[in-house]
Amino acid sequence: MSSIDDGEKFALGTEGEQRPWQDAYRALVQSFEAGSGRRYVGHSVPRNDVLYKVRGKAKYAANIALPDMLHGRFVRSTYPYARIKRVDVSKASALPGVRCVLTAADIPDDRLKVGSLVKDTPILAKDLVRHVGEPVVAIAADTLEIAHAAAALVEIDYEPITPVLTPEEALKEDAPRLHPNGNLIANLSNAVGDVDAALARADVVLEDTYTNEPIEHSYLEPQGGISFIDPDGVLTLLVCTQYPHFHHKQLADVTGLPLEKIRVIQTVIGGAFGGKIDVTIECASCLMTLKTRRPVKMLLENEEVFSATTKRHTMKIRHRLGAMKDGRIVALDMDILADGGAYSSYSLIVAGRCVVHAALPYDIANVRARIRTTFTNNMTAGAMRSFGIVKLAFATESQINKLADELGMSPIEVRRINAVETGTKTVTGQILHAVGFKKTLDAIEPIYEERKKALAAGPKKPGVLRGLGLASLGYGIGYSGVRNPSTARIELTEDGIVIANCGTPDIGPGSDTALAQIVGEEAGVNIGRIRVVSGDSTKTDDSGPTSASRTTYFSGNAAMLAGRDFRRQFSDLLAKKLDVTPENIRIDNDQVIVNNKPMRFEDACATLGSDVKQIMAYGVFNPDSELDFVTFKGNPYPTYTYATQLAEIEVDIDTGKIEVPRFWAAHDAGRIVNPMGAEGQIEGGVVMGLGMALWEKICRSDGYIQNPGMRDYLLPGAKDAPTEITTIFIDNEDETGPFGAKGVAEASLIPVPAAVAAALHDAAGIRLNAMPMEAETVVKKLAARKGNKP
Amino acid sequence: MANIDITLNVNGKDHRVAVRSTEMLLEVLRDRLGYVGTNKVCAQGICGACTVIVDGKSTTSCLALAAQFDGARIITVEGLEHDGKLDPLQEAFMKHGAVQCGYCTPGFLMSARAFLNDNPHPTRTEIIDALRGNICRCTGYKKIIDAVEDVAARSAR
Ligand code: FES
Ligand code: FES
Repeated sequence: MSSIDDGEKFALGTEGEQRPWQDAYRALVQSFEAGSGRRYVGHSVPRNDVLYKVRGKAKYAANIALPDMLHGRFVRSTYPYARIKRVDVSKASALPGVRCVLTAADIPDDRLKVGSLVKDTPILAKDLVRHVGEPVVAIAADTLEIAHAAAALVEIDYEPITPVLTPEEALKEDAPRLHPNGNLIANLSNAVGDVDAALARADVVLEDTYTNEPIEHSYLEPQGGISFIDPDGVLTLLVCTQYPHFHHKQLADVTGLPLEKIRVIQTVIGGAFGGKIDVTIECASCLMTLKTRRPVKMLLENEEVFSATTKRHTMKIRHRLGAMKDGRIVALDMDILADGGAYSSYSLIVAGRCVVHAALPYDIANVRARIRTTFTNNMTAGAMRSFGIVKLAFATESQINKLADELGMSPIEVRRINAVETGTKTVTGQILHAVGFKKTLDAIEPIYEERKKALAAGPKKPGVLRGLGLASLGYGIGYSGVRNPSTARIELTEDGIVIANCGTPDIGPGSDTALAQIVGEEAGVNIGRIRVVSGDSTKTDDSGPTSASRTTYFSGNAAMLAGRDFRRQFSDLLAKKLDVTPENIRIDNDQVIVNNKPMRFEDACATLGSDVKQIMAYGVFNPDSELDFVTFKGNPYPTYTYATQLAEIEVDIDTGKIEVPRFWAAHDAGRIVNPMGAEGQIEGGVVMGLGMALWEKICRSDGYIQNPGMRDYLLPGAKDAPTEITTIFIDNEDETGPFGAKGVAEASLIPVPAAVAAALHDAAGIRLNAMPMEAETVVKKLAARKGNKP
Repeated sequence: MANIDITLNVNGKDHRVAVRSTEMLLEVLRDRLGYVGTNKVCAQGICGACTVIVDGKSTTSCLALAAQFDGARIITVEGLEHDGKLDPLQEAFMKHGAVQCGYCTPGFLMSARAFLNDNPHPTRTEIIDALRGNICRCTGYKKIIDAVEDVAARSAR
């Protein structure tokens, strides 16, 4: 546990374990450096945790064991909606080896409920269960086997209530109230212009309804963590989460301990995608540690991940689009009904984002958007990559593709006519800057034309139809319309290690590496000597979660400012020590140049000796993003990212199976900090988008999930991925971003389903408005079409 | 429940363990012997995260009863490096950006290592086929396949 005491990111091991590999990493980085221009930003530097990961040494939560550790487990509701008549834990408690059995009765009422935005989710259910899989009892025992055995001895009597399983039912007057304030989690709307008048005078009006199925994030690493009391009496939680600072504050509320007596450290995280932002094991685990004074480890099983963690929202989107013959879109009207499930989680954020994004990336004068999200007795819907916008894009982009067909125009041309540009005013009244949307269309156009010709001319495969389809997106970076600052603090050690403390944790995409690149670039030091400490509630400030593609832009800006401050403080300090003027000191390429004489950075640090401790460089980035959620006026995001993607598909006429051999993604993500990392984000997002478009669905029946686990849930594998994915980053710099960067992660998946749907129409002449576009549906539609045209 | 005494040779080191008849190889490796580099995800033989090499063959250790492996030679991700030198696959995974969250990485490395040992010069299609039993949610597979292909191309014919 020395690694915790000396304040390092626990996850990467002790100083002694780190050093040789730190050196190896430095050597690795050197081989990637370019000779001129920027040294780090814009280069494909390998991730700074990659050596641990390829060696099997990364300390994921599951891999951490502490002496005397107990193993925790939940007993979960077996009903979608029921009153709890009796909970009897006496037999479970009596089992030898059981150290703690926790029920709602052990938690004071005013501390029982937690939640990301609204505290409506009981740590353990009391009186009522609202979904299958809701935790009712938590157990900690000497071994996992004993915990399992004890769980089987818990007796719970339920009185089932007829569950509410769809938003339509939830909105009925006589529907049972699932929560004290009723069944609506969100009811938001915004309108600009006169939509009805514009629709009335439009040459073409297209109306359709678009739907999707719930999706599991399917990060590979299950939720898990270990809580313990450290030698100073601090309740410490090591946990795979996207937002350690949130848990830090929440645990203070739940335990009644002061904030300085609690520490939450993010472990190396095995994927998240929005699925590790809410509460799962955190509170129960810590409460059991406080009761037993022993470490408690809780890890979810794959089945629990599927049946009892948040899912992607299902939405029914009624969409109307009005356009003139020349291709100008004059009106967009959308009405969304979403299933938020049992608890509120991030539903409100998803809803807000949908309203704000209604028209993007298009400039439409008359727009009306409404979303209602209700509680039901399904598993809670929460945050997932894109916060709902992938469904919006499926609807809007499909409509635009239909419009292009209707008008006999190219889908690129229709988009170009309506595209937002720098200076466009959005539905919230924001004036956009640094818009590279049209450039993404320009980048895709020649490929589209070339492939169209190739498919028309190319050899026909018997029984296979081929087609092309494209779709676009505009996406706001960061929280919607609330201030969400990031900070960075930089310290220095005598042996020349630059420690950058950034609050937003790396949840897999390599943001720690991007932040190191930014600090290295700005401070002039080799990034091999930079250690990014992120996601530790004691070591770093609350800088918001890693979500909404915000880390590069928000924390990157903070890191850049801190790097600048570091350079200044370092030069001032050394100048004083050497009795020269600070202007005569430069840091460049890991060297310190004093009066034109270079010295190694380490030597300069040694010269400073213990004075290095005086360096406390700081950067804060707090852009002015504000939105009035009643009038929907304001600047919800400091910047936006744009993209156009093109899918080439093959449809097997007999089986309906769709393959996607080629895919192109042209993105305006500002200046790219790490091309290899950013490409990896796009490729991963595209394949995740294909999963959602074609295969993935959580099957539900009567409130029960029928396929709780990977065996019955079709995740895309290597054979399902396109054999060619081409990423194009268009040249666009956003002067408000760090070195011109915006953000990448979520945008990659958003246009995918609409692009595939368009390609399916191009190939086979059928349109599907429901995701996933399954093979059976395709076959049926093909047969129906044949029937119509003998 | 009767325990069964077995010997497992893991990464060149012999371990004597008494295992329960229901115990899976993955549990023995992780919980008894401390080889935690091998990850557990689905425990259903679907995701490949738990892949290790047993007597030269890639094996999903979550579904393999440990008791069957008395005397077996097992290689885990910890056994890929030798004398501080990484396996070419590990180098290639770093270089090509084939690692994001890394949870799938040990499984992919072991599947690829077993495959390349049998077939050092595969085509790209053969590589994709060999990796069909491993799931990665982060990378979209391209960079993983690139990395394996790079190693295959560089190994002497
Ligand atoms: S954990 Fe063994 S295959 Fe998934
Ligand atoms: S890198 Fe995250 S699952 Fe493969």
